Amino acid sequence: MINQENKISKHLRVLVVDDNDVDLRMLEAMLTENEAGPCFFRCATSLADAMESLTEQDFDVVVLDLNLPDSQGEQTLIELNKKFPLITIVVNTGAYEDEVGVISLRLGAQDFLNKGKYNSYTLNKSLLYAIERKRLELELKMAYDNLKDLQSQLVQAEKMRVVGVLASGIAHEVKNPLATILYGITYLSEKFDKNKEDIRIVFESMLEAINRANNIITDLLNFSGLTRLNKKMEDLKDVLEKAISLVRHELDKHHIKLIKIFDSNIPKIEIDSARIEQVMVNLLINAIFAMPDGGEVVVTSQIFILSTEDLKKMPELNQNIFYLGQTIIMIHVDDKGCGIPDNEIDKIFEPFFTTRRSRGGVGLGLAVSKNIMDIHGGQIFISNKKEGGVRATLVFSVNSNKGDEYGKKTNSYC
Amino acid sequence: MEKKRILIVDDEKSFTSILRINLESVGNYDVTVENDSNKAFSTALHLKPDLILLDVMMPQKEGPDVAMEIRNNKVLQETPIVFLTATVTTEEVKSQGGWIGGHPFIAKPSRLDVLLNSIEANFKADE
Repeated sequence: MINQENKISKHLRVLVVDDNDVDLRMLEAMLTENEAGPCFFRCATSLADAMESLTEQDFDVVVLDLNLPDSQGEQTLIELNKKFPLITIVVNTGAYEDEVGVISLRLGAQDFLNKGKYNSYTLNKSLLYAIERKRLELELKMAYDNLKDLQSQLVQAEKMRVVGVLASGIAHEVKNPLATILYGITYLSEKFDKNKEDIRIVFESMLEAINRANNIITDLLNFSGLTRLNKKMEDLKDVLEKAISLVRHELDKHHIKLIKIFDSNIPKIEIDSARIEQVMVNLLINAIFAMPDGGEVVVTSQIFILSTEDLKKMPELNQNIFYLGQTIIMIHVDDKGCGIPDNEIDKIFEPFFTTRRSRGGVGLGLAVSKNIMDIHGGQIFISNKKEGGVRATLVFSVNSNKGDEYGKKTNSYC
Repeated sequence: MEKKRILIVDDEKSFTSILRINLESVGNYDVTVENDSNKAFSTALHLKPDLILLDVMMPQKEGPDVAMEIRNNKVLQETPIVFLTATVTTEEVKSQGGWIGGHPFIAKPSRLDVLLNSIEANFKADE
């Protein structure tokens, strides 16, 4: 029985953390006295030393004295466990109260040894069992985290389903009367003298109100029921130009200068141009609202192959979609506005979140945009710039739709 | 020139009465309204319209079922149908190029000139 256990233990890599030379030597002797003892054994004499060793190489288990020159008591365990949550820790100390043992277990240790009260066999057994318990604990934690993720996805899906049902019901009930009012106004407007300022204002205001109500319903429908895409090979430049032309009036009204920096090497990609146009209009309108008293919006497009450097520079980039060596297209919309408050930046893609409620915002523009980018297999992210203002970024992969053909083509561009 | 006959099938009475007034005021159309979609097919058979404006979601028979009856009838099968619907958005219609399932679509609410253009375009397509 003993032999069998030692057979397993011979692969153990043990880090002993203890500042007492005698204790260290005893432990070393116990761990190595069997022929089939641990093949690797290393000592650290302080907490800092232990952390350095753990950073440098992998260990299966740490045998930890709680009282070290640079850290005392349970704090030693807390610190180590915080920095290395995956490592198995067995506390080994001269404090003989069982209470310390229980506390150690609660703080993340797998076992508790009293110095001088164990032998080679019980030590090896303790370490082996501790490692196994830690492995099971991590497995359980992973399963729990997965379940929690899945549960929140389910809750989100259910929310979306409810919003969807609600949206299509509301859409039908509201759009019909809106259509009636619209055609009523259209008919009546022919009967009045539109050269008269007050009559013109009345009709224009009513039409604007219908448009606003319709836009809100449309956003809601887009947000909840966005499943159909009409993808074709399209030139992104045309889509960007079209979106810009749609907000031109707003740009001029707020005295905002628009600068375009377009990469001419971008090939056609498979997108639903009406949807991407919608996303771009949303981003441009946000930029305009951020600078009510004028300023500058820069729209940039670029194509490049993702390097390690790029991945480091853009932690927001979803590495489940975009990977090293992939050819991607990025569209940036930069404004020089007020930026997004730090406590709100995590919420901007949440449905019904808006900073413009008082000005008629519903808070669906970015939620819809995110949906559109998601079903295109792309990504949208938004961040405050160091120099002030906001950068909104759209990312498309060039070769996800048409396989290697486009990947090869675009490689030559970069 | 003889006026074109248009049949509007939609359960929203206020909508159909205002749409009829608008279309008739153009001067080129004779407009008939049917608010009960169960009767849409027999009304169409009696009227033999040059074009049908057909709502999609109606409490009795739904628009696509009415369209199916019309397509299956030898006398009416060539009659152009333009769907009017409050359940899709202008973007969706635009994204599908104005056609859904082989039929021209107009989202409610759409400007009158958009509707008139679609009516005219579909007359021509029929000729």
